[in-house]
Amino acid sequence: MIKRYLSFLAPIISFLLLLCVWEITVNSQNIPKYILPAPTDIFASLLLNYSDLLRSTFITFRITFFAFMIASLLAIFIAILFSQSKIIELSLYPIAVIFQVTPVVAIAPLILIWVGLDNAEYAILILAVIVAFFPVLANANLGIRSVEKNLSELFSLYEANRLQRLFKLQLPYALPFILTGMKTSIGLALIGSVVAEFVAGSGTSTGLAWRIIEAGNRLDVPKLFAALILLVLLGIILFLIMSLLEKILLKRWDIDKS
Amino acid sequence: MFKFNKIYKEYDAPILGPLSLDIKKNSFVSILGSSGAGKSTLLRLASDLIKPTSGSVEYLNNKKPNIGFVFQDPTLLPWRSVIDNVLLPAELTFKNKKVSEEKAYFWLSKVGLEGKENSLPNQLSGGQKMRVSIARAMVQDCSLLLMDEPFAALDEVSRNKLEDDLLDIWKKNKLTVLFVTHSVTEAVYLAERVLVMSSSPGKILDDVIITNKKLRDDGQQSNEFFSKINYLTNILKKESNE
Repeated sequence: MIKRYLSFLAPIISFLLLLCVWEITVNSQNIPKYILPAPTDIFASLLLNYSDLLRSTFITFRITFFAFMIASLLAIFIAILFSQSKIIELSLYPIAVIFQVTPVVAIAPLILIWVGLDNAEYAILILAVIVAFFPVLANANLGIRSVEKNLSELFSLYEANRLQRLFKLQLPYALPFILTGMKTSIGLALIGSVVAEFVAGSGTSTGLAWRIIEAGNRLDVPKLFAALILLVLLGIILFLIMSLLEKILLKRWDIDKS
Repeated sequence: MFKFNKIYKEYDAPILGPLSLDIKKNSFVSILGSSGAGKSTLLRLASDLIKPTSGSVEYLNNKKPNIGFVFQDPTLLPWRSVIDNVLLPAELTFKNKKVSEEKAYFWLSKVGLEGKENSLPNQLSGGQKMRVSIARAMVQDCSLLLMDEPFAALDEVSRNKLEDDLLDIWKKNKLTVLFVTHSVTEAVYLAERVLVMSSSPGKILDDVIITNKKLRDDGQQSNEFFSKINYLTNILKKESNE
């Protein structure tokens, strides 16, 4: 019982201690705000700019969420195609790898030109999708291929057709793999949307990355930190939601330790 | 029930045969042999899961019977309840749902799992999982039951109970059973006929008929039971030394 509380309290206490040391150091050493603001300055900036920052958080969340959903659905669909035809897999997998290994920063200008500077948000979305896509594809592909030989033979014995095999065996079997991929992917979608916004600019909408650039240019470092904190919180919340979803969906798998 | 006509199977190397075999309807045949003797391959050939490299499998009246397959592990889908696992063959073959459900409940009670219909596989013991697997094989009114070391991973008490239940199911349902095992005792206890296979490539080394019905009925107590075991054990020992 004590251990349980401790595992919960220990990181909180150490984090609060860190904030105290940070606050005392900044104040006692008279470190200027534009170099390192004290936690209280950051909190004050967060309160002062909360409406701007919250709007930007929502924009970043929206892009991340859509990028994650599009990437996941597309990756699962392509993994299904791969499972149905070796030729499709051999043809498309190298292209997927090319997208995976190409740095998003390097293709951002190209995507921006294609989509048009007025549609920067779409460009960011596309770039975030490219970043988030591969882990789901790789894991879904692995999951579908990992189906136990005996289970596969059981379906052959009863002459299951392709659709039965896919929906009653391969996809449910691959679900834990797919969710692992999605857990990685949701973090990457956030990173992708931030990096893409850094490179592509924000156009008409202003996400958190744009707020960071803006605050940096104005040497408003407390606001920069405030935006950064919101970004981290967003990442943690998205990861926790995904972990919870995984726990609920895999209830039946989780109990099975055999 | 079916015949193997000069069956030969190879992958990278020869696995089985040439092998000819005649399995009579309603018989209980055990297959003994060391690892790599092609026992599982033989079952897969009999079930038409794999095709022979040469030779043919000939079913009675040229019609493939309803086949039930019980693997070494229970091969249950973990996300499906017990009843849904048993209903899987009916679903895949588009059988009437209501009739299949009745049969599924019947077979689950027959294998002693009444009340466990809505449990998940991971809530069952190893023996119970294997019983679900047997119920699933039986639910399609199979006439040929192929079993690939089904009780190998079970403790002795569960194994003995399942062996007796299997004999009961075989007798009452006029099944033909092909039962692969590593255990000589199990083979002699269950079967009317024991095939001993040699390895690399798998061939029939000996074909031992256990004629005395009383032998099985008396269980593991009779002298003849032990003499058959000794005989088969010696063949296997000799084969492994060669």
